Amino acid sequence: MATRRTIPFHWSFLIVAALIPVIELAFPGNHHVGDLLRPIFIMAMLGLGLNILTGFTGLLNLGVAAFMAVGAYTYAILTCDIYPFRLGFWPATLVTVLVGLTVGLFLGLPTIRLRGDYLAIVTLGFGEIVEDLLKNLDTITKGTQGINPLPSPSVFGYQFRPETYQPWYYLFLGFLAVLVLLNRNLQRSRIGRAWISIREDELASSCAGINPMKMKLLAFALGAAQCSLAGALWASYLGSSGEPGNYDFQVSIIALCMVIVGGMGNIGGVLLGALVIMGFNSIVLETLTSFLKAHQLISNSNAFTSPGNWKYMLYGLALILMMRFRPEGLLPSKQVKAEFHPPEPHASPPPS
Amino acid sequence: MNILEISDLTVRFGGLTAVNSVSLDIPSKQIVSIIGPNGAGKTTLFNAITGIYEPTSGRINFGGEEACRPFRWTTALMLALIGLTAALSLVLIVNVEPLWDAAITTNYTYQQAFLVSKAVGAVSDYFRQETGRRFVFPFLIGGLVGLAGAYAIWERTRRAPEVAARAGIARTFQNIRLFNQMTVLDNVLLGMDSQLRTRVWHAALRLPLYWRERQKSEQAAIEILRFAGLDQEAHQLAENLSYGHQRRLEIARALAMQPRLLLLDEPAAGMNPAEAQNLMKLIHDIRDRGITVLLIEHHMLVVMGISDRIAVLDHGEKIAEGTPKEVRGDPRVIEAYLGKGHEDAPAT
Repeated sequence: MATRRTIPFHWSFLIVAALIPVIELAFPGNHHVGDLLRPIFIMAMLGLGLNILTGFTGLLNLGVAAFMAVGAYTYAILTCDIYPFRLGFWPATLVTVLVGLTVGLFLGLPTIRLRGDYLAIVTLGFGEIVEDLLKNLDTITKGTQGINPLPSPSVFGYQFRPETYQPWYYLFLGFLAVLVLLNRNLQRSRIGRAWISIREDELASSCAGINPMKMKLLAFALGAAQCSLAGALWASYLGSSGEPGNYDFQVSIIALCMVIVGGMGNIGGVLLGALVIMGFNSIVLETLTSFLKAHQLISNSNAFTSPGNWKYMLYGLALILMMRFRPEGLLPSKQVKAEFHPPEPHASPPPS
Repeated sequence: MNILEISDLTVRFGGLTAVNSVSLDIPSKQIVSIIGPNGAGKTTLFNAITGIYEPTSGRINFGGEEACRPFRWTTALMLALIGLTAALSLVLIVNVEPLWDAAITTNYTYQQAFLVSKAVGAVSDYFRQETGRRFVFPFLIGGLVGLAGAYAIWERTRRAPEVAARAGIARTFQNIRLFNQMTVLDNVLLGMDSQLRTRVWHAALRLPLYWRERQKSEQAAIEILRFAGLDQEAHQLAENLSYGHQRRLEIARALAMQPRLLLLDEPAAGMNPAEAQNLMKLIHDIRDRGITVLLIEHHMLVVMGISDRIAVLDHGEKIAEGTPKEVRGDPRVIEAYLGKGHEDAPAT
């Protein structure tokens, strides 16, 4: 293989992210960029899970929030002391990932022969069903209040506290780095090749000996497992499973936006997408709103003038603009990029 | 020795009979061509052989057996497992809240010890009352639906394309179907993937097996690309190849599957005479490697030049079969191509 001298975006993202809290030590103050990055890491994990399904395999999934909810609630039930399980951080996370895997298989099995829009509708329905289940299964999920409080995790003998953010930051970053590594390894193996070939042309892929059913099920299982891991970490960070409404359709759409804006099927693209979309959400919009309020340009009484209320329209606009002007995403995979910048003009070899 | 024996094959789509009781024997290690006017059922025949279409009737025997998934004990085990899982899931779903109450809520007070044995006892007590409604009925329904669904899916995919492919039938398509966003090398590697033993965990954790197989398969892929004359372009995207090279790449991908039978669907379509000549040489080389080639082709120069045998289809029926010389002189073939009273037809 040709050696590439540039560092792939996903590694530079992780390295820069690892340095941010260290840099912030030099600038003491109350405002932490690193603090704001934690939700971005979680959403990036969700995006990575969706990327396996939609980016690699081409299965449009509009219900990944459901997988995240399954993860968050499983983790909450396993750790919260109103239930008898009271597991520690690692066993609870492990069980959660296994549960996510199973749920992915359960959704994948009956929908295995559906494609495109039909699959999207089923996954959309699945997302709604899970949300409704969580709301109505009072005895188990505590309905709309969610399960809380969860104990802060203790990792390798270190007890996490809600008020210091650095340990959380590195915990999430570590998980994200591991997921990035695993996903990259899968992408560059026969598994990833098979997924991408199914996305490109399922018939040709099966005629080349790939079993599309098996590979799609695998994509479902692994995608769901990653999404539920994101859910588990999110729950551990919130100290609560969150209420069912936290895992509604909008979360799924945000995850999809991240994958599309960043660049389908590219791990670095998903990280960038998470950074852009979530950064816009929690940094740009917040700052804009507080700025406008501080200068009394908007009033609280008029909902139309608050930028926060416009965000889904802005996401929609971003998606439309992306589709029109840069359908391959901000950071497309190398293959797609190569299409626009051919490496070098080559002489046609003499036919043998 | 015949590698492929098609007997009395019929493929019907609603009222249209695309292939009508065709019997055809393909001798091993030969080049056999199928010709015929457009719509004669040639590609349908290919699709039936490769498991894309289910034949309406008739048998396709490849290497002495039918190319479909055998019913082994692992299949039975898998079906039983899926049925059992579905059955238990339905039992759980139907009873979830009372079950949770019985097992957890009533046996656990805040931060007190929880006895698993008590919970298990509570669960069995719960099911002992109204066993039929709570357990037997949902279990039977769930098991039945799960078993029937799994069996239906298995039955419908018995003759799937990947089964034929793994048995040793590789093919190319009339309208090129490459993986455009993948590199030339990856396209060929994909053809090899079904022979690799790398599993998810090997790939995710990059265990030694992954490295070994990766190195081996990349070497083999380069070898195949060299054979097809594409090694210069291994790292190009498939999409960026010239038309003739795309055709060759599709053949290379098929060869990477190490097939015993190679089906080529109009490989010379749209090629200029020089490219067609090169293609003929490539097909010869493939045959010399011991691979049987079944060819659909309109390019008569190619067909007559390389075929050991030719079969002629018209309106879904086989109207002639024999050596190129025999077929060329067959009056029914001339009629199928040129129509009755061909002395009025334009000379070819």
